Amino acid sequence: MSLHPQYARPRSAAQAVEVLGNLGAGAVVIAGGQELMPHVNYGRLMPTVYVDIAALPELAGITEKDGEVAIGALTVHRTLQRDAIVQRALPLLAHAAAQVGGGWQVHNRGTVGGNLVAMHPLYDIAPVLLALQADVEIQAPEGVRRAALGKILAETSHGLGTSSLLTRILLKPMQPDAGWAYEKLKITAGSYGSANAAAVVSLTGNKLSTLRVVIGAVSEQPLDASEALHGLLGKPWDAVAGARVESLCSASPKTLLDDQQGDATWRRAMAGVVARRAVQAAVANAQRTNK
Amino acid sequence: MTTNMEEMLEDSVLLQCRVNNKPCELEIAPGTTLLELLREEMRLTGTHMGCMTGHCGACTVLIDGQVAKSCITLAATVQRKTITTLEGLKDAEGKLTPIQQAFWDEAGLQCAFCAPGMVLTATELLKSNAEPTDDEIRTAMAGNLCRCTGYQSIVRAVRAAARVMKQLK
Repeated sequence: MSLHPQYARPRSAAQAVEVLGNLGAGAVVIAGGQELMPHVNYGRLMPTVYVDIAALPELAGITEKDGEVAIGALTVHRTLQRDAIVQRALPLLAHAAAQVGGGWQVHNRGTVGGNLVAMHPLYDIAPVLLALQADVEIQAPEGVRRAALGKILAETSHGLGTSSLLTRILLKPMQPDAGWAYEKLKITAGSYGSANAAAVVSLTGNKLSTLRVVIGAVSEQPLDASEALHGLLGKPWDAVAGARVESLCSASPKTLLDDQQGDATWRRAMAGVVARRAVQAAVANAQRTNK
Repeated sequence: MTTNMEEMLEDSVLLQCRVNNKPCELEIAPGTTLLELLREEMRLTGTHMGCMTGHCGACTVLIDGQVAKSCITLAATVQRKTITTLEGLKDAEGKLTPIQQAFWDEAGLQCAFCAPGMVLTATELLKSNAEPTDDEIRTAMAGNLCRCTGYQSIVRAVRAAARVMKQLK
């Protein structure tokens, strides 16, 4: 804790990680500040050193190369909504970035890296990136490593924000004929969801040939229900399939959140409802796309 | 690579930026928020302190023409940026912009605590979208809370400003 914090501006991601390694637990990484500063303002966090990564070139920009889109961790939500590459190759991500709360002000400053590293169970970006099977690139003390986002979210030793730095998010472009949807159950625009679901589907004729569903805001971590839904592949999308998605997705959370967004019993029920609605909307989206 | 930590750690930050079109160079404490810098160091009290969590939008300023909540922006991270506060909108003779005038005419503000956020967000909106629909206006304004107006007159004010600005073109 410190009433007189210090400031460091490393020149590269590698140096940032080295600096973090030399500092104690009171050091914080700052870029947009949208996640960090509310905690500082309310005294929940008293940083000893602000490590400013806002100008690191390795963490900036969106590129597409060799069938892979790389999104720099410093990319703000507003850019995700408007960038031509994201709009064309990852329309689900562009759409979900607009559902993030806080309004334009937060979309203009909040970075996708900060959103992920916060690992907040109610945030919108992680479920969507999991549905898109994203990898992340991490600058660790030993060097740069790449891992599936799902694996990083599940481990406690990733060191993100304390000894390592998220540098880029790596994704395959979505199939042009895929249908997608992000369903967020919320009280008002901009508020936290009580249950969210991201769905990506493709259809062969009227039958589901791929189905990915990730549910957020019901458990501590987003839940990838795709495997549980394997039995629906090759089947047509109809009311029976919808009821199966709902019951399987309601059954999938092992532990549930029980907070201001709703109690655990209701969250379990809503996990199924948003999943069904998301698949329904994704199927409709695929049918429109392929008309 | 071995970084000299003594050189790396600074007790203060030399900040260079433009505020309301004036170049500024200040030495600030690293923990200073942009809101503190504007209100306390520069006495620009048109930027209001509200919730300090980023919910209410009363502390809104433009950073390079885009709205941001200054209470959750660390001042050190706006190096070489252009900041516009509510005070920076009026011209040299003190004439209100069409957006400010429309908020006046349509009673878009009552207590005006939310004014910085409402007026500056409308400024960014109408720059990129000359004829926004009511839906687009409401989406754009979503980061600003108003406890007086019920929002109807705010939407009306933005619509009126858009009409006036179109005629001026």
